Amino acid sequence: MKTLIDKIILVILLLAFLTSIFLIFAWVPPIKASNPAEQIAQRIFYYHVPSAWIGFLAFFVVFIGSIAYLWKRERKYELLSVASAEIGVLFITLVLLTGPVWAKPVWGIWWTWDARLTSSLVLWLIYVAYLMLRRYLPDGNKRANLSAVVGIIGFIDVPIVYYSIRWWETQHPKAVMASSEGGLAAPMFFVFMFSLAAFTLLYVYFMRVRYKLLVMEDSINKQIKEMEIL
Amino acid sequence: MLKPSLAIVQKDLRMEFRSKESILAMWIFSLLIFVIFNFTFEVSRLVMLEIAPGLLWVAFIFSGMFGLNHSFAVERENGNLRSMALMPVTGGSIYLGKFLSVTIIMLLFETLIFPIFVIFYDLQLTATLFLLIPVILAGTIGFTSLGTILSAVSVHTRNQQILLSLLLWPLVSPIIIWSVNLTSMVLAGEILTNFLPLLIRIIAFDVIFFTISFMLFDYILED
Amino acid sequence: MSEIALHLDSVSKDFGRIIALRGINLDVQPGEFVSILGRNGAGKTTLLNIISGISTPSEGEVLLFGTDPAASSNKSKLAVISHEMFLYSNLTAVENLEYYTQMYRVEGMEDKISSVLETVELTHRRFDLVSTFSRGMMQRLTIARALLHDPQFLLLDEPFTGLDQHAIAMLTTILKGQKAQGRTILLTTHDLHIANDLSDRFVVIDKHRVVYDAAVGALGVDELRSRFFSAEGAQS
Repeated sequence: MKTLIDKIILVILLLAFLTSIFLIFAWVPPIKASNPAEQIAQRIFYYHVPSAWIGFLAFFVVFIGSIAYLWKRERKYELLSVASAEIGVLFITLVLLTGPVWAKPVWGIWWTWDARLTSSLVLWLIYVAYLMLRRYLPDGNKRANLSAVVGIIGFIDVPIVYYSIRWWETQHPKAVMASSEGGLAAPMFFVFMFSLAAFTLLYVYFMRVRYKLLVMEDSINKQIKEMEIL
Repeated sequence: MLKPSLAIVQKDLRMEFRSKESILAMWIFSLLIFVIFNFTFEVSRLVMLEIAPGLLWVAFIFSGMFGLNHSFAVERENGNLRSMALMPVTGGSIYLGKFLSVTIIMLLFETLIFPIFVIFYDLQLTATLFLLIPVILAGTIGFTSLGTILSAVSVHTRNQQILLSLLLWPLVSPIIIWSVNLTSMVLAGEILTNFLPLLIRIIAFDVIFFTISFMLFDYILED
Repeated sequence: MSEIALHLDSVSKDFGRIIALRGINLDVQPGEFVSILGRNGAGKTTLLNIISGISTPSEGEVLLFGTDPAASSNKSKLAVISHEMFLYSNLTAVENLEYYTQMYRVEGMEDKISSVLETVELTHRRFDLVSTFSRGMMQRLTIARALLHDPQFLLLDEPFTGLDQHAIAMLTTILKGQKAQGRTILLTTHDLHIANDLSDRFVVIDKHRVVYDAAVGALGVDELRSRFFSAEGAQS
């Protein structure tokens, strides 16, 4: 059941991602790097970093949804948290896949137990565990409560995980957006922001679809139950 | 507030010491960890000393997992967790009670494991070794404060033990990483300037996790 | 004691895809013995969870002795006996009871413990581990445990299931004694005869609603069975 808004978002998404492919692979000038492979590989940055940001955003929504659920006890907050956790795991999975694709030509290895990589993996594991927990429990208040508790503790742990692992030396490129020395060149910045916007819209779209699906599942099941009662 | 917590501790410790074989089994198990690691990584003494702090914490974590699983399996038996929810006590005091008993048992395991470690890795018993006490305490409390609430979560599922590992290990990894770092410093006898800040950081997160779990425990007991 | 013991006003429990209760109205007077009958899955357990305060209704109001059932003051007035034993098998009978007296802050622990052990005829086994007990003995200890804190309100969820004859007789006697002392009792059971023997009132829950609520004797046991339990008449 796609509403008009969903259809409009879908069209915009299609156009945005087509444009971003053009921008990333044809328009934006390559970075200065001695290694030609690195010049090509660097372009994955425009997918890699927005995915990571959206992953964090999604887990933040899980956190807020979990608090709201424990406070208000309304099903919608539970469903919102679950939808966001699933999508967050999806985006962090993208991060963990695109990272090695970049690392292989640049570092010569797929994976290293580097600070950033390890912490992203740990983050992924936390939310996979959250989803696993829900799989193991029958639907009901208990499951909603327990997963909300894990959703809250999990997110509080996120900054700690990042903090703890910064102790190690990192090979991972610095967070370019935040660095004081110049940051990105103007066209790169533009493409990055464009990609980030597209990813944000993708998150919104996924959320709308997944949430509606969960609500629909509920109402179908409820109708079946009602029919049994009558 | 404190009285019911202490009643839980008394009951848990009574049961734990009644089944002494489980403590013995745990002790032998950690012995095995050291032996197996020694066989699988045939390394020089120098390298061994480098991985020893990690090994020590692996043994600690396994003993902690054992304690946690046991402590909540007992509550699950005969519906005791439900019975706790029916009692005129707050979730917080139940959490405190379970946290204390699990922590005491884990610290006991650690005291039993440590001498083997000293012998196997030929540690010099110097005065700096005393710095391990606050490190082990802080790391253990971090592990048990998270472990207690997550055990109470996972005990409601059929696959309690696996799910506890899945939930707890990633979440507790920062505290374990710091504890291993600090343990390395102490064992190497090089107390760097960041020893104290790092220790304080662990304690700060212990406090955060404990407080949050204390506040959220009511929701876990609810149906 | 003009205060009503239990008051449920259009209580519904409805969560996600689960429907457990629909518009339950129920008032129980102090000292009343009410039996709740219904098939498995009709919502009896959810109802008891709501009354005992471990579950909150999605709609409606529940008052136990005039306040929220989850209030600590209410929890100490309540005892639950169900098919779950609420016992630690690695503790002795006395240790189990000691633990309960501490959690419920019962005064005069030792006297209280020996008196309840006397009631359930377990004094001779008081220092034995519960794991060495037979099922019937464990159930008797469960009853002793429930009586420790002099509960004003007893919630009994299928307490007769799996009991041996001796334990059934003992529980029946104890319940009669409790009723004589003015305790309020709510019982769910499959056994219409026991319910008929003990209670003042029958409430039948079917398909998540109250479908029958009348004093015992308004309908005979056989009549009740044929009206509400015809499909599973053989079960009780």
